[in-house]
Amino acid sequence: MSFFSFTEMPGKLERLGGKLANSSVWESNVMRAIAAAVAVLLLVIVIAVPLDLVQQSTIAVLAFLVSSKIRKLSWGRGGILIMIGISLLMTMRYLYWRVTSTLDFETTADSVFGYLLLFAELYGITCLVLGYIQTAWPLERQPVMIDRPVSQWPTVDVFIPTYNEDLSVVRLSVLAALTLDWPADKLRVYLLDDGRRAEFRDFAQNCGAIYLTRDNNRHAKAGNLNEALKRTNGDFVAIFDCDHIPTRSFLQLSMGSFLRDPKLAMVQTPHFFFSPDPFERNLETHGKVPNEGQLFYGLVQDGNDIWNASFFCGSCAVLRRAPLEEIGGVAVETVTEDAHTALKMSRRGYNMAYLAVPQAAGLATENLSSHVGQRIRWARGMAQIFRIDNPLLGPGLTLGQRLCYVNAMLHFFYGLPRLIFLSAPVAYLVFGAHVFTATTSMVLAYALPAIVLASMTNSKIQGNHRHSFWNEVYETVLAWYISMPVLMALLNPKWGKFNVTAKGGKIDQEYYDWKMAVPYVLLLAVNAICAIFGITELLLGSDEPFTALINCVWVVYNTVILSASAYVANEARQIRHTPRIKASFPATVSRANGRTVMCETANFSSTGLGLKLPKDNGIKWDIGERVHVSIFRGEKESTFPGTVQTGGQFVGIQFDDSLTLKQTKELAKMTFGRADMWATEWDKHTDDKPMTSIKNVVGHGFVNLYGLIRSGIRGAFVKRRA
Amino acid sequence: MKIIAIVSGKGGVGKTTVSANLCAGLRRLGKSVLAVDLDPQNALRLHFGVSPRHVGGLARAVLSGDDWRTSVVQGNTGDYVLPYGSINEGDRLDFEQDLRENPTLLRDQLALLGLAEDCVVVLDTPPGASVYLTQALAAANAAVIVALPDAASYATLPKIMSLIKQYCSRRKKFLGYLLLINQVDRVKQLADDVTDMMSAKFGKKSIVLIHQDQAIPEALAYSKDLQEYDPLSRGAHDVKLCVQAVERLINPDTVGALAA
Repeated sequence: MSFFSFTEMPGKLERLGGKLANSSVWESNVMRAIAAAVAVLLLVIVIAVPLDLVQQSTIAVLAFLVSSKIRKLSWGRGGILIMIGISLLMTMRYLYWRVTSTLDFETTADSVFGYLLLFAELYGITCLVLGYIQTAWPLERQPVMIDRPVSQWPTVDVFIPTYNEDLSVVRLSVLAALTLDWPADKLRVYLLDDGRRAEFRDFAQNCGAIYLTRDNNRHAKAGNLNEALKRTNGDFVAIFDCDHIPTRSFLQLSMGSFLRDPKLAMVQTPHFFFSPDPFERNLETHGKVPNEGQLFYGLVQDGNDIWNASFFCGSCAVLRRAPLEEIGGVAVETVTEDAHTALKMSRRGYNMAYLAVPQAAGLATENLSSHVGQRIRWARGMAQIFRIDNPLLGPGLTLGQRLCYVNAMLHFFYGLPRLIFLSAPVAYLVFGAHVFTATTSMVLAYALPAIVLASMTNSKIQGNHRHSFWNEVYETVLAWYISMPVLMALLNPKWGKFNVTAKGGKIDQEYYDWKMAVPYVLLLAVNAICAIFGITELLLGSDEPFTALINCVWVVYNTVILSASAYVANEARQIRHTPRIKASFPATVSRANGRTVMCETANFSSTGLGLKLPKDNGIKWDIGERVHVSIFRGEKESTFPGTVQTGGQFVGIQFDDSLTLKQTKELAKMTFGRADMWATEWDKHTDDKPMTSIKNVVGHGFVNLYGLIRSGIRGAFVKRRA
Repeated sequence: MKIIAIVSGKGGVGKTTVSANLCAGLRRLGKSVLAVDLDPQNALRLHFGVSPRHVGGLARAVLSGDDWRTSVVQGNTGDYVLPYGSINEGDRLDFEQDLRENPTLLRDQLALLGLAEDCVVVLDTPPGASVYLTQALAAANAAVIVALPDAASYATLPKIMSLIKQYCSRRKKFLGYLLLINQVDRVKQLADDVTDMMSAKFGKKSIVLIHQDQAIPEALAYSKDLQEYDPLSRGAHDVKLCVQAVERLINPDTVGALAA
């Protein structure tokens, strides 16, 4: 390909594209219709033209070479769009061929397995296409500075709803909300307690927050928020889950957009978690592999934003009161009231915004069962919206908004298709069914390029927001659990009930949650049986050794993903009740003898600090020594009383239980509330390297399979934990 | 030669200790330093390890008409000190009369010492308005106002500020002043509040803090340099920052070089 310089392409493409796009030809509707018709015709030919094995393989290799070349160049969005085009082309060729040339099934078993697989494939392709539309061009919105005198700034009510969470969890969030940078006479913080607890009321009264409660718990969180809406009157409503601690700059960064765009109804910011979720903790990937949230808040919401379709996620967001009241408050029809609220406001023509700057942080779900519980709720809620207020139907939405919302919902329907993929080799290896009526080489020539190009393209789009194949692990873990609730909700949106995710616990002892792991162990067993059949067939000589081999490779892939997934149920021990967050601020310890030590923090939590001292400092610490620790932020210094827990180069200090409200507020301000606290942690991951990533997943898979078998044997001898 | 006056509105704020620590810090930056004691208590020399029995000093030199250079002594810390000198009450009154009659006596005498361009003279003064303070301010290129984070110090600030305005602000060679809040203790509510009030009033560019730190009096008691006695202490760190702030004040052009 030396006649063709790739590196000069963007300039040429841009000039050519610019000329074409600006041509006066396009002002005529007739010309546009003709051009569209020609394009569609060409596309149909490219997708539908039948090719033999050699021809199709040649096309596949060419597509692969071009795409992998572009992937390495920095062509920005243009390059991504070309890759998407090539990927879609190969996918559509596969789909056309799959539907027209491979469904000529002979037996009932062929048909059953064949159509099941086709269903799963159709689902996958739909999500692929919608995903491309959604993430092709993330908006990367920047904060808008507030350009009015303070006297004209709007009033903001901060709502912190709580139901059964511990005061120790809620306290910091409320205190941090009270320190938000906003004129004091224009900011009110409301603690909305659905638990009706005296302790919460007293706390709110003492710290300057306003305590609201109601005599029922109808519609859970949504009902709680709506009740508060009735009893307050700020121009804007900022909503934080009770375990999300805002930084002081939250309003300064998010409010500017509202003042510029009067039709703007919501600004959402990312949910950032400073503790590892069960995946990260049990698979030990925290800080190394981006988690699910990082894809959603790093890419998906930013992608939605260009279609004016970023949606409300229940916390860390500001809503304009008028449009919210216009739609009757927070939606109560489904268990994902947040997304539905945004959808309803979008239908009324209001704008939505997403600002990818983490301005609050909170606790991730503590263990696998609560994580799964939360995702079941999301999946159910999205299925409910799909049923009762389908974004494809009804008034008020642009095509882009409809597609983004539909994708957000369809995304949660992956359960069944994934289970089909994970057990598909059973069709041929155990039952001898042929899910394709085509030669294995033709299947490979059509399917492989579609799969490989889709992976490459997504890897390029997702960059550092997701590492290839880990997604498979996340979805596999949840697939079984969300399939049924989604199906039920699709059949009848009223089935099932709301469940609250428990947070802030600790796991005393490592244990394997066998109950949670049952589905993966079953699927592993199915794949093990497939493997036995496959190896036997290959050893005894087969009529279709190639088909058997391909199926065996599929089994190995499934086993790797399933082993990694099954190990998520191995609940790693959590030592601390309150997670420690790594951060280095200047600090000073004032000791009981009047002497002082300059140092830096290594980490902090709501109850203590880790301090890093210079090496070989020769300082002797008494365990239990009473000290005062000062933390500095620029010129600002705040001092907290505490006790030395560990000495040496790293000194652990535990704060006194008797920190006053003022001190706790100061602590929130100096640690969690620092404006730049989370921005550096956010998006720090390296770009995806698919080969490294698969190596890691495979490594985890095998190590975990070993661990799983060991746990299983131990579990058989040791009495199982209740 | 740059002259820095260390002043305060009231006594007991740790001015002499601050002067000694500033001298040590400036010397660490490679300056040649002369500490001059304008306080009749004649205590500064003790911070430099000069014998308590040493009686010579600038007051005696003025009264006897000697060259000031003959009164400069080197303490066992290596620094050069010009003590006030031990004199009787009558001599003190005579000396103060001389100072009143000749408002630029100090400035002239210091000029006669013929110190090098990069030499720094640190003047320790008695608390409050006095003829010594007037002399010091008339000679100074910069002033460091030492205060405690308490109500009394806060109350005396306006007076000392008006004196600085009167004697310094109109002189071209006067480069500016710093407010040094000594013995800052954030644990004590009042100290914390007063520190914040003073900081708000002066602006962060002209404020430096030295935290309450036992290492400072201990180093003094053992006649050790604070930076060697407890290099990890807050006090040592704060003193370092103060010295840098003073250096920035008296050599505004070399800040870049210092940072490098």
